[in-house]
Amino acid sequence: MRMLPAVVVVLSACGPGAQDSGRGVAVGTSGTVRATRRAYDGAPPTVPHPDPGASCSACHDADGQAVGAGVAPASPHVGTAQVGGTERCRQCHVFVATDALFVPTRFIGLPQNLRAGSRATPGAPPTIPHRLLMRENCAACHAGQGIREEIRTSHPERQRCRQCHVPATMAETYRSVLGVAPEGGARP
Amino acid sequence: MKRRNFLQTLGVGAAGVSAFSCADREEAARLRAELANASEADLTWTKAPCRYCGTGCGVEVGVKGNRVVAVRGDEKSPVNRGLLCVKGYHLPGMLYGEDRLTTPLLRDGNGWKAISWDEALDLVATKYREALAEHGPTSVAMYGSGQWTVFDGYAASKWFRAGMRSNNVEPNARLCMASAVMGFMTQFQSDEPMGCYEDFEVGDDFVLWGNNMAEMHPVLFSRILANKRVNPGVRIVDIGTRRTPTTDYADLYVEFKPGSDLALANGILHLLLRDRKVNQAFVRENVVFKRGIEELREIGYGAWGPDGRGVDASAGPAERYAFADQGRDASLADLERFLADYTPEKVSEISGVPVAQIRALAEMYGEQGRGTVSLWCMGVNQHTRGTWMNNLITNLHLLTGKISRPGANPFSLTGQPSACGTAREVGTFAHRLPADMLVANPEHRAEAEHIWGLAPGTLSDKVGYHTMDMFRAFVRGDIKVLWTQTTNPWVTIPNLHRIDRTPGDGRFLIVSDIYPTPTTEAADLILPSAAWVEREGVFGNSERRTQQWMKAVDPPGEAREDAWQIIEVAKRMGMGELFPWPDGAWHEPMYEEYRRFGVGHGKDLASYEQLKATRGLLWPVVNGVETRYRYAAGHDPYVTKPRGVHFYKAKGYGERAAVWLRPWHPPAESPDEEYPFWLCTGRVLEHWHTGSMTRRVKQLHQAVPAAYVEVNRADAERLGVQSGEPVRLVSRRGSLELPVLVDGRGNPPAGSVFVPFFDESRLINLVTLDAMDNISKQPDFKKCAVRIERV
Repeated sequence: MRMLPAVVVVLSACGPGAQDSGRGVAVGTSGTVRATRRAYDGAPPTVPHPDPGASCSACHDADGQAVGAGVAPASPHVGTAQVGGTERCRQCHVFVATDALFVPTRFIGLPQNLRAGSRATPGAPPTIPHRLLMRENCAACHAGQGIREEIRTSHPERQRCRQCHVPATMAETYRSVLGVAPEGGARP
Repeated sequence: MKRRNFLQTLGVGAAGVSAFSCADREEAARLRAELANASEADLTWTKAPCRYCGTGCGVEVGVKGNRVVAVRGDEKSPVNRGLLCVKGYHLPGMLYGEDRLTTPLLRDGNGWKAISWDEALDLVATKYREALAEHGPTSVAMYGSGQWTVFDGYAASKWFRAGMRSNNVEPNARLCMASAVMGFMTQFQSDEPMGCYEDFEVGDDFVLWGNNMAEMHPVLFSRILANKRVNPGVRIVDIGTRRTPTTDYADLYVEFKPGSDLALANGILHLLLRDRKVNQAFVRENVVFKRGIEELREIGYGAWGPDGRGVDASAGPAERYAFADQGRDASLADLERFLADYTPEKVSEISGVPVAQIRALAEMYGEQGRGTVSLWCMGVNQHTRGTWMNNLITNLHLLTGKISRPGANPFSLTGQPSACGTAREVGTFAHRLPADMLVANPEHRAEAEHIWGLAPGTLSDKVGYHTMDMFRAFVRGDIKVLWTQTTNPWVTIPNLHRIDRTPGDGRFLIVSDIYPTPTTEAADLILPSAAWVEREGVFGNSERRTQQWMKAVDPPGEAREDAWQIIEVAKRMGMGELFPWPDGAWHEPMYEEYRRFGVGHGKDLASYEQLKATRGLLWPVVNGVETRYRYAAGHDPYVTKPRGVHFYKAKGYGERAAVWLRPWHPPAESPDEEYPFWLCTGRVLEHWHTGSMTRRVKQLHQAVPAAYVEVNRADAERLGVQSGEPVRLVSRRGSLELPVLVDGRGNPPAGSVFVPFFDESRLINLVTLDAMDNISKQPDFKKCAVRIERV
């Protein structure tokens, strides 16, 4: 995959004064902006705008929405059914009330690696390099407005992504077939 | 603020609390280079339970270069199925605060000096040996927590009881779960719930008693919400004293006056009996009736009175916890007479709950076609009548027969990762032995002596100091040497002024921890501990699930695991025979020795081998198979009858469960003209307990950087204060300045305020009351009277 050093300006869409304070405005490559909001690749991002006092899904719905001068990205969780985590966004996504730290940290998180997927041949569809739990809505990150150019699909009109792209982590699904005992012991 | 002073006293270059050095920067650069082209597939992933609450979510820990660099929710864990909360997703940051304690530190005048482990362990052994020789086994103590692994707790309990011949070993679970323990013990003569998390998918009605589950057990609350999405008939009832994020998802919000929950529960019981909703067949077969001491003047409010700087005209002797409940037989007819007073109208008057809501709750519990799950945690347990309130909730299930079957159970949630696994199952309370056994019972002591290979009569029958008494005894001087591990009592004990301490007072305080805290500040010797996946461990969660993990990374500097610290001190005191296992290979044999206590007694734990291979199992585990529903035919291997339930552990009640008649009493302290507001304390989603771990995580601290006081808008307007402005909360015991929060995530009713306790620079326990449940000895952090002063 060709790496595009896309320079984007993400504007906070919610609440006056956000630009004045500097919070909610991030300038840089989309990758560095993304990283500032995540402890490591795979961590839920913090919320880059002030609390608008409204339901998250009012803007972050299945398709995402233009809000003011910015974009509210779509929710990748639309369609997540097996866990109830999607009912309560603030269980995982928290607002940022201060830039200060309690004490400095030495934590270094796994960065995002855009070369993580694999292809059988140069023209073959790449496998999905990440887990699918809570990421059922592929288009949230790979199509539509406000997404990162590096991972934008060239064919958003094809709705059924997993017809051609399979997760690289599927082996787990077949754990029981592969002979591993069910956890909790065999039930009588 | 005080912690900053502590760091300053260490001075530049002190070895114990390190600053960023050249070596650190080089290591960081190396790690960043290693990670530059890495992805999840390049990390080593191991399983572990989360470090924080009692839910016990499974996480996968991603390691690179001897550092944790990522976590994932474990999709294989039956607890959370891949989901975590914001604390869980940010677990690794907890290990890497700059001020990790990395070497033993000895108080040196006003500062600290780094000493070697040999010096530190010799010193601890010497201090304990001297105290034992001069003052006997009541003068030594150890205080741990529900965050102790099974290894830590077992090592502490065995060392203290078998080596020191003292039962002065306690966990902070006394502040957390003791009332639930006494609830289960008084009714089933065996601790811990009969149901499991599967109840969240199978149940129809979820009644939350004083329980902000959306913030405190978010992943479990998500399971209820997922059930509700698929089954729209599912109902959630939030019974509380303030609106919380949980209320947003409730079908019915029932607001009661603080402390009136016993009246409300009795009001529901009254209606169940009056409307003939009692499951007579179930009661005849499985239930006995009991009553104990019911007079307020006899049971009192625990150790409250002049010494506590409280005002209690009826207190009499200040130390009133020499109370022992004595059960006597009663009947269903006695219960009916007892409940005659609790008419809906009278209960409504006491509790402020509308009559229609009391009726709705009675209909919900009484409807046989629907599975009812009652859930509770600190609101019920941190309560001067906590044991009684536990009893009343379980009574609702026993009288309707809604117990020990899928989707119908009373379920006590726990706050710490091994409150069940260690504090309750290993039995690290001052009165307990492993597997429900008691130090006061000669047969139980004999069994422990047999397993531990001790001469008969070795173990002491004298119950040790419970937590509240332990710290007072230390400050009084009756305890000479106290060692704390994995807990922060100089933040969490209520009415903190009462345990003010100046080092150099002739006592010796050893504190094992991973970061500086107000408790290390009170210490004479600080020992650096390994945290979470820096060592091997076993935790037991709320649903009886025992979970094991392996060490994944080295601890920083010279930090060592808590159990190792205990074993090394025991060896230096000539008690090494208690831990006869080879260095570096003692975890499995120690666990297997501990497991002997429960096998054959309905407390059978899985083998270590099976724990390693699975995401944990629910005890009792017999022939390698776990038990989802205790006491239930077809589920519990100890139940031989073809259907129904069998409360086989309750030998003292003819193998039936006990319904206790428990009255409502007013709280120990209620608002008056001088102190017109209720104060309730608790947690927030982002921080766990005293925040010593979560505040060092960037995302969590930045989300909620400081404690605040939630004030109702009407009160704020009347006082002329707005969000962000400081006020002073004043009680009879102390005062504290806090910023006001109006219309925050929680919203107390007019006349009530709420303060979270995670902020060590704003210690709300300087204000709280140290009244307690006189049965469980658990203090009440949820109810006292304060006034608000503008600053």
